[in-house]
Amino acid sequence: MEQYNITICHLYGNLLNTYGDNGNLLLIEYYAKQLGINVQTEIVSVFEPFASDKFDFVFFGGGQDYEQTICSKDIQHKKEDLITYINQDGPMLAICGGFQLLGEYYIGANGEKIEGIKALPHYTLSQDNNRFIGDTEIYNEEFDETYYGFENHNGMTFLGEGEKPLGIVVKGFGNNGKDKTEGVIFKNVIGSYFHGPLLAKNKQLALRIINIIMNKKYNKTFTMSDLKNV
Amino acid sequence: MGLRSGVATTAGKFSQWFLKTFTKGGSSLPGKIALKIDPNVLDSLAKDYEIVVVTGTNGKTLTTALTVNILKEEFDHVLTNTTGANMVQGIVSTFLQDKKKKNGKNVAVLEIDEASLSKVTTFLTPELFLFTNIFRDQMDRYGEIYTTYKLIVDGASKAPKATILMNGDLPIFNSVNTINKREYYGFDYEQGHNLTAHYNTDGVLCPHCHHILRYNMITYSNLGDYYCPNCEFKRPKLDVSLTNIKAMTNISSAFTIDQEDYKIEVGGMYNIYNALAATAVAKHYNISSDKIRRGLAYDEKVFGRQEVINIDGKKCTLVLVKNPVGLNQVIETMKLSTDPFSLVALLNANYADGIDVSWIWDSQLEELASLDIPTTISGGERHADMSLRLKVAGIKPETLSETTSLQHVIEEIKQVPTEHIYILATYTAVLGLRKELIQQGFIKEGM
Repeated sequence: MEQYNITICHLYGNLLNTYGDNGNLLLIEYYAKQLGINVQTEIVSVFEPFASDKFDFVFFGGGQDYEQTICSKDIQHKKEDLITYINQDGPMLAICGGFQLLGEYYIGANGEKIEGIKALPHYTLSQDNNRFIGDTEIYNEEFDETYYGFENHNGMTFLGEGEKPLGIVVKGFGNNGKDKTEGVIFKNVIGSYFHGPLLAKNKQLALRIINIIMNKKYNKTFTMSDLKNV
Repeated sequence: MGLRSGVATTAGKFSQWFLKTFTKGGSSLPGKIALKIDPNVLDSLAKDYEIVVVTGTNGKTLTTALTVNILKEEFDHVLTNTTGANMVQGIVSTFLQDKKKKNGKNVAVLEIDEASLSKVTTFLTPELFLFTNIFRDQMDRYGEIYTTYKLIVDGASKAPKATILMNGDLPIFNSVNTINKREYYGFDYEQGHNLTAHYNTDGVLCPHCHHILRYNMITYSNLGDYYCPNCEFKRPKLDVSLTNIKAMTNISSAFTIDQEDYKIEVGGMYNIYNALAATAVAKHYNISSDKIRRGLAYDEKVFGRQEVINIDGKKCTLVLVKNPVGLNQVIETMKLSTDPFSLVALLNANYADGIDVSWIWDSQLEELASLDIPTTISGGERHADMSLRLKVAGIKPETLSETTSLQHVIEEIKQVPTEHIYILATYTAVLGLRKELIQQGFIKEGM
């Protein structure tokens, strides 16, 4: 079997790690191993620079309000490099808080406006005393794939120009409970409010992400039948 | 006692008698009735007691049990609430059924749910609060660690003269000032330097300057002798210190606290913390080391806490798991076992378990892969989630079997190749399994 090497950046991996988001990385590593891909993961946290040319994939999870507020300040110092990475078609998966911070702004727990890095044009409002919690299901027409997950978020995100949703809501609330969109696809960035089990329940999406990474770096794509164990 | 609370007490006691005589229930309805008649009933019920309150995410039940056992050595009468009765109604019921001593000192050691603390302290005034820890736990119900911590600090502030005895090794407990005076217990052994917590750990930010905390010593999770590499923030001075662990197995431990040796008959580092917490309460009351030793020698098993059940000759250790830190500690304890064992993992997602099962991805089940476990059975309503998690953790698919019904789990347990079995289960899965075991005659009712 051919051997490949990819380097993953787990952005704020030691701070934004709520709701099993880390499971997505574990699943990418699990499938990658079966495909002969060596994975090296590096955490880039507060007070550390992000090098846009160093990584083949960035995973950006969500966190508790306090950690997220701290990260939202720190990320302003990484903003230019992250925008460069995204504009050079860098592959990224952003969950919940990560998804919000890539956008224009979000409204924090105490009603304060917290700046994102404005790499993507969406913005996030908050709900009064309500969270979108529960099992959810979305459909992506372009890929003809259905994704299953669990959502638990207060934020209501509205997509902007050039952003496509990851899927249309079949069951659950999605980005904002209003327009039936869930998540985002923008260049090689995928964002979602599904946490932990996003890739656990959706192996096609896991393979899709691996293919985005491998296609860019090695001009190589895999099919489901290349996986030994799912 | 005023007329209204007198009526409330009588009604509560009567309904308790009624329920006990004619049904098997009675742990919270009498409290509900009494509270309905007089919302202040707790105030009058609790007035002759010295009250110690135990709260926090993990370890409440065993810490309460150990504390009660020690205090019984010293005081005339010690009241406590039973497992599961740790919200307001259950606490009222507990006082209703108690027979206090007319002469002598009555003490109440109450395990109180983090979210209920403030409601309880509105009506009664504890002398001492014990905070075990705050970890992420069923976040669909409790919210974030900082929110939970604020709840218990606010709860304690309603009894401003009471001391808070807290785990000094947990950074969040040193993050805000409190009205209440604080005392700390913690570990002081094996000093290293410049360690960091596992990346998937909560609460590792310095509350002052937001750098990632470092440690001279880590016991588990984010507990240890922490310091900020950038500012003055560090662990406070400990009032009660554990200086040595002489032995630690999956079923017992021996250790030294303030120059005295103690033993407990329950395994794992997390239970040493529970024993240390109970000892710190005893020291707060100047109880002698001999009495502490006798109290800690407790070996009755508490609901789902390492109780061993015999199923046709298979020795099954049943452990309740409900959050990542707890599960990690159970895995660490399993690693101490000298006997080979099989594993059963039962995952449910009812309200009492937490409807969000994503927490299994936050625990370090990868540690199991090195243990060479011959058979693993995944079960419960969310067996599919559990199976995938176990496979990703490195459990070999050919050693993994998956089953839906708890009845079938028991059948499979009888077939495993080892004498010892660890059963890890969420709350309603423990209840369901116990019910099935009672029906099949492997355990008696009532525990």
